[in-house]
Amino acid sequence: MALSNNEITKEMFEPVAMSSSESEAIVGKSTSFWKDSFQRLLRNKGAVISAIILLLIVLMALIGPTMNKYGIDDQDVVRQNLPAKIPGLDKIHWLPFDGVENNVDLYQTQHAKDNFWFGTDDLGRDLWTRTWKGTQVSLFIAVVAAAIDLLIGVAYGGISAYFGGKVDNVLQRIVEVIIGIPNLVIIILMILILQPGLVSIIVAMVITGWVTMSRIVRAQMLKLKSEEYVLASRTLGASHSRIISRHLLPNTLGQIIINTMFTIPSAIFFEAFLSFIGLGIKDPVASLGSLINRGYGVMQIHPYQVIFPGIVISLLLICFNILGDGLRDAFDPKLRQ
Amino acid sequence: MENILEVNDLHVSFKTHRGEVKAVRGVNLTLKKGEALAIVGESGSGKSVTTKAIMGLLPKPAGRVKSGEVLFNERDLTKLSDKQMQKLRGSEISMIFQDPMTSLNPTMTIGKQIMEGIRRHQNLSKADAKKRAIELLELVGIPNPEERVKQYPHQFSGGMRQRVVIAIALACNPKVLIADEPTTALDVTIQAQILDLMKDLQKKTNTSIVLITHDLGVVANMAQRVAVMYGGKVIETGTVDEIFYEPKHPYTWGLLSSMPRVDSKNSELLAIPGTPPDLSNPPKGCPFAARCPHAMKVCTEFMPDYSDVSDTHKTACWLQDERSPKVEPPETIQVGGDR
Amino acid sequence: MARYIAKRIVYMIITFLVVITFTFLTMKLMPGTPFKNQNRISPEQLAQLKHYYGLDQPVPIQYLHYIGNALHGDLGGSFQFGMRPVTTILAEKAPVSFDLGFEAVIIGAIFGILLGVIAGLRRGTILDYGTMFISVLGISIPSFVLAVFMQYFFGVKWQLLPLAYWKGPEYHIMPVIALAVGVVANVARFMRTEMVEVVNQDYITTARAKGISSFNVIFKHSVRNALIPVITILGPLTAAIVTGSLVIENIFAIPGIGSQFVDSIVTNDYPMIMGTTELYSALLIIMIFIVDILYGVIDPRIRLAGGE
Repeated sequence: MALSNNEITKEMFEPVAMSSSESEAIVGKSTSFWKDSFQRLLRNKGAVISAIILLLIVLMALIGPTMNKYGIDDQDVVRQNLPAKIPGLDKIHWLPFDGVENNVDLYQTQHAKDNFWFGTDDLGRDLWTRTWKGTQVSLFIAVVAAAIDLLIGVAYGGISAYFGGKVDNVLQRIVEVIIGIPNLVIIILMILILQPGLVSIIVAMVITGWVTMSRIVRAQMLKLKSEEYVLASRTLGASHSRIISRHLLPNTLGQIIINTMFTIPSAIFFEAFLSFIGLGIKDPVASLGSLINRGYGVMQIHPYQVIFPGIVISLLLICFNILGDGLRDAFDPKLRQ
Repeated sequence: MENILEVNDLHVSFKTHRGEVKAVRGVNLTLKKGEALAIVGESGSGKSVTTKAIMGLLPKPAGRVKSGEVLFNERDLTKLSDKQMQKLRGSEISMIFQDPMTSLNPTMTIGKQIMEGIRRHQNLSKADAKKRAIELLELVGIPNPEERVKQYPHQFSGGMRQRVVIAIALACNPKVLIADEPTTALDVTIQAQILDLMKDLQKKTNTSIVLITHDLGVVANMAQRVAVMYGGKVIETGTVDEIFYEPKHPYTWGLLSSMPRVDSKNSELLAIPGTPPDLSNPPKGCPFAARCPHAMKVCTEFMPDYSDVSDTHKTACWLQDERSPKVEPPETIQVGGDR
Repeated sequence: MARYIAKRIVYMIITFLVVITFTFLTMKLMPGTPFKNQNRISPEQLAQLKHYYGLDQPVPIQYLHYIGNALHGDLGGSFQFGMRPVTTILAEKAPVSFDLGFEAVIIGAIFGILLGVIAGLRRGTILDYGTMFISVLGISIPSFVLAVFMQYFFGVKWQLLPLAYWKGPEYHIMPVIALAVGVVANVARFMRTEMVEVVNQDYITTARAKGISSFNVIFKHSVRNALIPVITILGPLTAAIVTGSLVIENIFAIPGIGSQFVDSIVTNDYPMIMGTTELYSALLIIMIFIVDILYGVIDPRIRLAGGE
């Protein structure tokens, strides 16, 4: 025997009473689905960092425009096309915050006393204020569009799935036609009818946008409807409202959240895209897309005018996508172990 | 008879996000030429992992053989390179999997899937390989083999697919065939057909078989010897008669009592209370101690060594120690004990 | 299968009719269109327009007329090019756009599949995380932002590549990359997911148990099966390429349909806008149709089950 026999004493051969409760005890603590998902999300470093950056951008979009004394439409040709200058950071030569363009300190040559953190445009408007105000507008459009998509999509998909049969048949034939129409085409035509502007962009995006959400909700609900626990609940006499509120909705919520997290960046992109091709937000209101469009016009001489809004929109989209991926991984039951 | 396959003190671990799971903890097995060895045990007892380790099919990089050896014709398989292992797999040792619905490639014809192994291991021309594939399908009892080779898996029923899987495994006349619960996923009526087929083929080809199952009926039908696994260890091993009629380990008792039998006076099915141990944090002593109705203090502290009941019958249980109180097997088993 | 194709064709026609109807209504509804806003165009143009659209006739007749003309490939005359037929202009500009889109799809698909396979096989390693991070960047950063930055750095600042136009091969580099990055990223992500899924399938274990080489297991079994579903993203990808080409062609002054379209929007060249919209719709609708059919042909499970 490998063990030294003197460790094993005669007393150790006394039978011990086995308590069934002990052997049936569940190893590991139980966690609810939402808590579990949330914990998994917190473990995803990329998602957490993205969420923090997003919060910062949202915060800046809200307070950024009030951080200096310039409004979004305060024009002054005396201070036009000034490069970015941030006191403190202007000593670091590789950062674009030294107020110097082509080795000339334009703040000296134009006798500008104030610092413009992101510079000014050709009308002398402060780009710091305009960039954050533009972020605000872009975010507003995206969030509103996503919210409307969500409302219509969930209602449409839910009705289609829950009532099934003829209702589902008719609703789905409509969806099949809409899904075949390229949304780029619809959006551009809608904007042409409605004239470019905040509301028309939202309307144009929502007109095709809700279809995705409705399909996801319908598919998920159809799947859930045939699950055995829903059947069990129904057999036990649960009411429609109880089945919907206790079983169908909570189990679809994850999918809804994930899809919304991807709708927002795609709305931000479409707004920027439309503004870039001249169908979006018009001056003096700014959006990230219109700022990029305007900055692009003078990019060869004053690149800073396109770089700041370009970076903000890229960061926004990257963070939304990473956070969306993180949420999907956190909610995906396939990855649960 | 000489041993064709020998597993000595095999340890296999998996890296998971919760830490290392010690799935197999010192397993010893021997397989003699022409014999069928059954490995029984509940899910998570380490039986599948043991066979995957023998085949060199542990999922990489998570799973790995930590120590021990697998001797096949006196060659240690754990020391072979990937290339050498590939030469052996499918030709010398092959495997049948549990679920025929998922174990065939859905986008490749049956014929191609059978020919793949043949072409790899035997220098046959494409036409000869195809001829051989048709022969194999005929051998495993698939009607119209000439037509069937051109078809895809979804055109076959579950039982037919399992026959195809068997044909693939037998393609190169392997010396050892490992069958991982070959009938679990099939309908009861098909199960018997597949088992009959395997028995028949074993007689014809004299292949040695390692059969993994948790169905004791299958064991009685197919195997000559049995190894009972629990918590990553073999806790009892012996001939089929010894295990069925003179079981020594309380877990084996539990397994046998939970098997439905026609001749039982007691119509109630007995379950073993509790759940298997968590192998990411394996117990110090006997893995079954927590569920054992006869557990003693020593069981939770020390793992018992094997004691010989007979030349062929071994068990690892403290009840075999002379210091332990006398414990009789439960009545449910003694009923079956009248030979 | 035949029934399935027939059903798909019916849907395709309905969808396209909806698009044409929608464009027609847009024409009628457009505020400040040439029909109302007469200072925008010359009297001859107006006369020609009225004649072309038969404005003296009732709206349903006009509608039928419009559809009839559209089906004949007559999409009217462009305002900015002295009423030259829209169809002629589109046919002239299409090859350039097609080149650009085709190059981007090919390059995007090749690199995307490659990266996806590597990431999928090396799941959980730095290689995987690195590839997936880059592909998130590729998916997130709008192609026009990327194009603008590339143009500034490679064209203006370092002067490594020609700023714009569509001449020799070196002119293709920036626009094709700008357009392909999104394709690479999307394909890579999709391919990775499929690879991870396929690699864990039982039939891969069966293949390994047969003793065939790792190379064959990876390519004959894993990659082959993972590739099939990738076809499904070809439809959305085409849409993304078309969207991207509008701005990319504009930024790099490429004389294709995309830049022409943006010009038309700016100059209110409605026949041109409508014609291009219909062309894009037809392209995307047909693409989705082809993808559906192709998927059925390539995947034996669907092919033999008879569709659906």
